[in-house]
Amino acid sequence: MSDPYAVPVPEGYRVGAWEVGAPIATGAFGSVYEARLRTDAPPPRARPADPDESAPPPGVDGPHGLPGTAALKFLPTGTRTPRQLTHLRELAEREVELLRRLRSAPRLIRLYETLTVDDPERPGLDGATVLVLEKAEGSLAALLARTPRPGDGPALLAQICEGLAQLHRAGWVHGDLKPANVLLMRDGSARLADFNMAAELEGTHAYTPAFSTPDYTPPELLWSEIGERGRRIRPSADVWAFGVLSHLVLTGSYPLPGGTPSARRDAAVAYARGTDELRLSPLLPEAWRQIVRDCLARTHRERVGGEALLRRVEKAAGAPRSPRALPRRVDGRRTVRGGRAVLGAVAGVVTAAVVGYGISALADDGSGRPRPGTENSATASTPGTGAAHYGAAELRTDKGIPVAYRRLIVDSAHDCVQAQVTPALIAAMLKAESDFDARLADPALDEYGIARWTPRVLRFYLRSDGRPTERIPEPPFTPAQSVPAVGRYLCAIAPRLDVGLKGDERVLIAASYRTSYKKVNDAGGVPPKVRAYADRVAHYLKEYTPPGKK
Amino acid sequence: MYSIIVVPPPTTEGEHETPQLRLAPGERLTFGRSPADNGLTIAHEGVSRAAGEITAHSAYWILSNLSAHQTYVVENPEGAGEHIKVGPGRLDAPVPFEFSRIVLPAAGDLLPIEVWAPRHDYLRSPGGLDGATTAPAFSVDRTKRYFAVLAALCEPRLRGAPHAPLPTVDQVVDRLIPHWPSVTRTTVQWNIDYLAVKLRLKPGPDTADTGPRLNGKKESLVSLALRFDLVREDDLVVLAASRDRTAR
Repeated sequence: MSDPYAVPVPEGYRVGAWEVGAPIATGAFGSVYEARLRTDAPPPRARPADPDESAPPPGVDGPHGLPGTAALKFLPTGTRTPRQLTHLRELAEREVELLRRLRSAPRLIRLYETLTVDDPERPGLDGATVLVLEKAEGSLAALLARTPRPGDGPALLAQICEGLAQLHRAGWVHGDLKPANVLLMRDGSARLADFNMAAELEGTHAYTPAFSTPDYTPPELLWSEIGERGRRIRPSADVWAFGVLSHLVLTGSYPLPGGTPSARRDAAVAYARGTDELRLSPLLPEAWRQIVRDCLARTHRERVGGEALLRRVEKAAGAPRSPRALPRRVDGRRTVRGGRAVLGAVAGVVTAAVVGYGISALADDGSGRPRPGTENSATASTPGTGAAHYGAAELRTDKGIPVAYRRLIVDSAHDCVQAQVTPALIAAMLKAESDFDARLADPALDEYGIARWTPRVLRFYLRSDGRPTERIPEPPFTPAQSVPAVGRYLCAIAPRLDVGLKGDERVLIAASYRTSYKKVNDAGGVPPKVRAYADRVAHYLKEYTPPGKK
Repeated sequence: MYSIIVVPPPTTEGEHETPQLRLAPGERLTFGRSPADNGLTIAHEGVSRAAGEITAHSAYWILSNLSAHQTYVVENPEGAGEHIKVGPGRLDAPVPFEFSRIVLPAAGDLLPIEVWAPRHDYLRSPGGLDGATTAPAFSVDRTKRYFAVLAALCEPRLRGAPHAPLPTVDQVVDRLIPHWPSVTRTTVQWNIDYLAVKLRLKPGPDTADTGPRLNGKKESLVSLALRFDLVREDDLVVLAASRDRTAR
């Protein structure tokens, strides 16, 4: 009964357009198999799990817009599969949701489609969820088993850290970072995978299923309280796991002493309680010592986070500093590969944004409303040197975009991982909405400020942590409030638009801002009602985009 | 982060008033008559001034008998007489039970100190405890009475009625009594409290009283157990007639 494979699938089995090949790996919940795309015969025994998924994302080669080979992950979510467990359905949903929403994050494994096996003759498979994922060459765990201290360890760590930063920026926590969940691609680069434990942040916490991998679990989560919604987890849990992983990759050993997981767990507890010190391996390179130490800080509050960690890791790895930390970025070009933008360069730095123009005033003060003092924000602040050319590679400087808003526009666009949300798009929308009039007030339509925000909608995008404000905000809305909120809203819209709608994706996003992504999906393109607005956005989009850029 | 809970012996004044003590791995608790040197003072003339020491160690604990002449017996209350003896002067004797009762002989009285080790790990599906495998955060022993209580609580919902009302404590007693003749309301309630500790539900057992509060606790236990598949339909055999662990 104890089949080593969580979900046994015979070789040659057909699911959708895929023919299952050799097994790749199995985990506690699902099993992964190699698969080949078949071009013959209509796909039997499977239906798209979600109609949205049936259309391939743009820029994928292959007869159906799918790659020639893929990795199929089977999760036994069927009602009669022998290992059917209630929580598996939830785990599968988490992974699908995350991968759909973060489709364009380059350091996360790609999801091509999801299928549900429809094969009553095989009760063991019927109803299983199948994720069709980008095929990797292997995992970091396998690499470490062969080569305990890989020479390109630092570079891999920088890429892993970049993946974590992408997740965290988008408001998700991985929840189960470890070598087996880091995949290595043919070109040697690393991507994060296995998002069954991932959870979207609700404020400062997320709720993940109560599963964990002992050696990578931060001490505060060992034996932590568990509510009905699962375990409360913060992004700092991923940071701890990254610290453990870095130590393992760079020295071949775990940072906490002990020959067994439970001994190491005790050591973690003793360290967190302050009864023991952290003694890192002498093999750990000097440049990494402080980073690992800061990842493994005793409490989650002391742990280094997000962008600061990424910058330090990249420096230690000697990786070319990825242009994401951009206050003074010269070249903001996106590398376009295979039709998809590679996003390393895109997302802006939240912390930098805060320093940049007093957005800190938006921090929650409990009332859900901005604290007084927001007025002297972008408009009034003295722009730093080069403000007039800020983001010039992506946003023209000679078309009348007010200099005072450039930084705000460019950074708000970069805060979003979605490639289509560009500075030029936000600028074009502000032009079309208000002609950059920060004082606009249109009580008749209930729209205010430079982006014509409707207060009851703005409520959901005002806060950078993604939580709605307690009360509906009251106008006036400053540009420092309005513009980042536009970025966040567009970022939420982009992944929800159906693939294959008519028209420029960016214009469709703008049209959704005016109506809703649902109306745009239903209309199959720009709805007639907002045609004029969309045309204006398209016009300015073209005008504001520097020559040579899409 | 505690792994061991010590329940002091009941005192003459007020039975449930002595608070439970929680120990994290590496923490020690000394006990004895002298209030000066002990974490747990046992005010009984028959107990040594420094009687012993409990140290939490990983998920289990060790006991030192510091008395000069008395042997301590550590019983497993669910073990059908299973016990270990720790002689005078014996240091750091490991105790393997999830539930233990240290019995201190004291001038004709026997004083029980209960020690719970709710973090004991048990094998789940095939494969051992491995630091690199994603594992559920709970670990239950399917042979323990708490599991029978949990199964009885989950039974109506597992048998197909997802919103069935939960059985009352009395109904649980009736359900369990054929195979566990000594079961009472109190033992069922005790096990519900213990489950809340073991599964780390938010309110601790010492803060939750009986009555309506217990209902909320039952509800939380059941939804957690079902959500994470701690009890499945095939586990309901623990309630079936063929099983009789008290006769062991």
